[in-house]
Amino acid sequence: MNRFRYELRLLLRSRVAAAALTLLLVLSAVAVGAGLSASARQTALIDRVATAQARDFAAATTQYGKPDGEAGYAAYYTFHLTSDRPSSLAFAAMGQRDIQPYVLRVRLLGLQAQLYETETVNPELALPGPFDFAFVLIYLAPLAVIVLMHDLVSGEREAGRLRLLSALPVTPGQLWLRRAGVRLMLVLLALLGPFLVGALVAKAPIWGVAILSLVAILYVAFWAGLGLMVGAWGRRSAFNAATLVGCWIVLVLLVPALANAALSRAIPVGRGVDLTLAQREAVHHAWDVPREAVMAPFVAKHPEWKDKARVGGGFHWKWYYAMHEMGDDGVAGQVAAYRASLAARQAWTERLGWLSPAAAAQSLVHRVADSDLQAHLAYQDNVTAFHRHLQDFYYPYLFSERPFTRKDFARAPVYAPRGSSSSTPVVPLLALLVLSLSAWAGGVVGARRTVS
Amino acid sequence: MSGRPSLVGRVAREEWRALARNRVAVVAGLILAVLLAGSALLCVEQRNAIEASRERHQASSDRQFDLQPDRHPHRMVHYGQFVFRPLSTLAFFDRGVDSFTGHTVFLEGHRQNSANFSEARQSSLLLRFGELTPAFVLQTLAPLLVIFLAYGAVASERERGTLRLLAAQGLGASDMLAGKLLAHGGAAGLILAPAALALLIAALLGWAPPGPAVLLLVIYGLYLAIWAVMAVLVSSLARRSRDALILLVSIWMVLVVLIPRTLPEAAARLRTQTLTRIETDIAIHADLNKIGDSHDPDDPYFSAFKAKILAQYGVRRVEDLPVQWAGLVGMEGERLTSQLFDRYAREAFAREQAQNRFVRGFGAVSPVIALRQASMSLAGTDIESHQDFLDQVERYRYAFVQSLNRMQVEQIPNQGAGEDPRIAAANWKRVPSFAYVAPDVLRLAGGRIAANLAVLIVWLVALLALCAPVARRLREDAR
Repeated sequence: MNRFRYELRLLLRSRVAAAALTLLLVLSAVAVGAGLSASARQTALIDRVATAQARDFAAATTQYGKPDGEAGYAAYYTFHLTSDRPSSLAFAAMGQRDIQPYVLRVRLLGLQAQLYETETVNPELALPGPFDFAFVLIYLAPLAVIVLMHDLVSGEREAGRLRLLSALPVTPGQLWLRRAGVRLMLVLLALLGPFLVGALVAKAPIWGVAILSLVAILYVAFWAGLGLMVGAWGRRSAFNAATLVGCWIVLVLLVPALANAALSRAIPVGRGVDLTLAQREAVHHAWDVPREAVMAPFVAKHPEWKDKARVGGGFHWKWYYAMHEMGDDGVAGQVAAYRASLAARQAWTERLGWLSPAAAAQSLVHRVADSDLQAHLAYQDNVTAFHRHLQDFYYPYLFSERPFTRKDFARAPVYAPRGSSSSTPVVPLLALLVLSLSAWAGGVVGARRTVS
Repeated sequence: MSGRPSLVGRVAREEWRALARNRVAVVAGLILAVLLAGSALLCVEQRNAIEASRERHQASSDRQFDLQPDRHPHRMVHYGQFVFRPLSTLAFFDRGVDSFTGHTVFLEGHRQNSANFSEARQSSLLLRFGELTPAFVLQTLAPLLVIFLAYGAVASERERGTLRLLAAQGLGASDMLAGKLLAHGGAAGLILAPAALALLIAALLGWAPPGPAVLLLVIYGLYLAIWAVMAVLVSSLARRSRDALILLVSIWMVLVVLIPRTLPEAAARLRTQTLTRIETDIAIHADLNKIGDSHDPDDPYFSAFKAKILAQYGVRRVEDLPVQWAGLVGMEGERLTSQLFDRYAREAFAREQAQNRFVRGFGAVSPVIALRQASMSLAGTDIESHQDFLDQVERYRYAFVQSLNRMQVEQIPNQGAGEDPRIAAANWKRVPSFAYVAPDVLRLAGGRIAANLAVLIVWLVALLALCAPVARRLREDAR
């Protein structure tokens, strides 16, 4: 223990090392603060929208909630708000929450024409990516490690102390391992300290905090292992620094960017556009065919309305909403294919973790924080389920031709937030574990050789 | 700084020779050249694929519209029209915000739908690491190569003790500094060469607009020159080359990685929040209700409108109108809604621009911000180009809806039209289709491009102005 304290004092005497650690601590704290405030802003925005929506809903109630009100009009003019609040860990990893909408209003019309609406996003602000803990972890923490590790061995040689150190009666390599361990621990302390405080403030679940911390530890350990490996190589400090920065450029900037280019070419997602085009054809074609062509499949799907689904030649709300539901059903295959292409992109991104620990850490932290593409798809699923509730709610009024009054507005279903879709994907975690263990294995072998 | 040309040239030549002998430098340079050329080729191909798919969608959507059967024109107002944003040719060089903005808009009557299906919303988070375009390589990676080549330019002479030796042989400090600057400026030019080639070929083939292509070269040239001068200056001031490297990489970290990321957060927090679409929709709906209710026979606004129309046609009752009254009311309603759409869109864009101005103001602190702005503007992939597209789309939407409404006014009988009145399908071909006019970026964003160009020039001039005192320092050191 004494030795560790001695190493600590020795390390912190170096001005560059102390500055790098302090800077990392400050940036991590600022990022956690920024994440907490971004998270609070999103929650506040959801509340603000909910207030506006309540006014709009009240106006619709007054206008269409007459004693002889028609459910057809009410359903056409009433919007229902859905929202997706940030998870308690989102403050650490905002992910796509800056570009994916987290408020969406739907009504009883075809869902596929409503589900992909975009909210107001300032694309220029979204372009560089959010400044959050995940950014500090993935981009900046490795650089702090590089500053601390690049002259681990060469610094001693350049100061003329290396021969003296090798004469000490310790097991070969132990000294370097101890020093690397101290550095790794300090970086993790500076990095994770603010995060843990933030997690307490946000009341994040312990399991998620533990997984996120584990990811941070493995990821930083990878860089420390790499630093030890390069540092033990026996080259000059400047060369080591350049090599490690080179590794950083390749693993953090280049491989992900290359992989993204490959992925967007290999798995195109134009089907989203195709399915909206197809849905429009399905819905509008229904105006030009006999009513029966719409009502027959609708009744087959909803036998409970069999006796009440007869409509004449003119316009009827029963037929109108049946047509919208059938329009959605008509593109169900395309929706599934579209979703599959999005899921494929996500799956390949996770596999990419084997090539770049940065990509592995990125997909892990955002999956745990429930703020990635998959999280948004989970939100869409929940909106889809809510839309079914709307159908279940309005159809009895429509088909039994019951009046839709003021009281009935109050009975309308209210969107229930989705449960967390947070998970721990095995592939990137395994990749990160293997990569960081191999880096350390390489480092240990290198460190042993240095002394002998 | 007065330099003797022959000596300056010799210093530069020596530096070049040293760089050429440095195997790591040559390999790094080659890798960057491959990355640049490769990303340019890939992005041209990718840009063409995106453009082709948008064109195909547009054509098939237009065709489908024309093929619709006999219908009531109001049905066609809601059948609507899809428009797809064409991608500028220079988007291959800098994708800008294109991946973050939707490119598909569904147009219909009395609703303004959002632009949907942006690439970023449909990608995994991988996209947020950045897209591998020539702009990304030049903005992010090229400065690192410049730093790597130049960090030892003067510092290693100092370390080896040759600084004093050279001074003793009569080489003045300013001559040496000028030579090193010339060498590394030249190296920066060489780094830019593959991108320059790509841009010039694109311009010469008439594929890309020549003015913006050349200006792109100019701003990236300035940007790399800024890094070259900065690297040589830091190298001149550092005691050891290792210190110079660490300092330069730190500067790169702060300017290229850190500042661009932190500013948006500050902008979002400091500036007024933008209104969500939902709030905008609700506000427009409320405003419309305030103007009047066309279904209410006693409504003042629509009573006045009715009186005006009756006077115009010289009849006493709407039933006597020679044109369809409901269609006229529809046209008036569309006019009112459209005015509100325009007003709210303008306000929203102004709020967005206020946030962006905050970030852009920091161009003075980080030349990367000025460069990115200018680059996106020149490539036609900036937020203004997108807004220009949205404006064109809204103008078209209005014309499109009103042309259908006019058909209703003129062709659907005012009285006794029957239960299911329709007009001939041939009418749909007469509805104009969307013809996007690609903006002249120099006209659309000329002021902003000039401002950002000025920021880059000021940076370079300021750094060059620092050369004189640095040369003085060197002279003192060599004594």
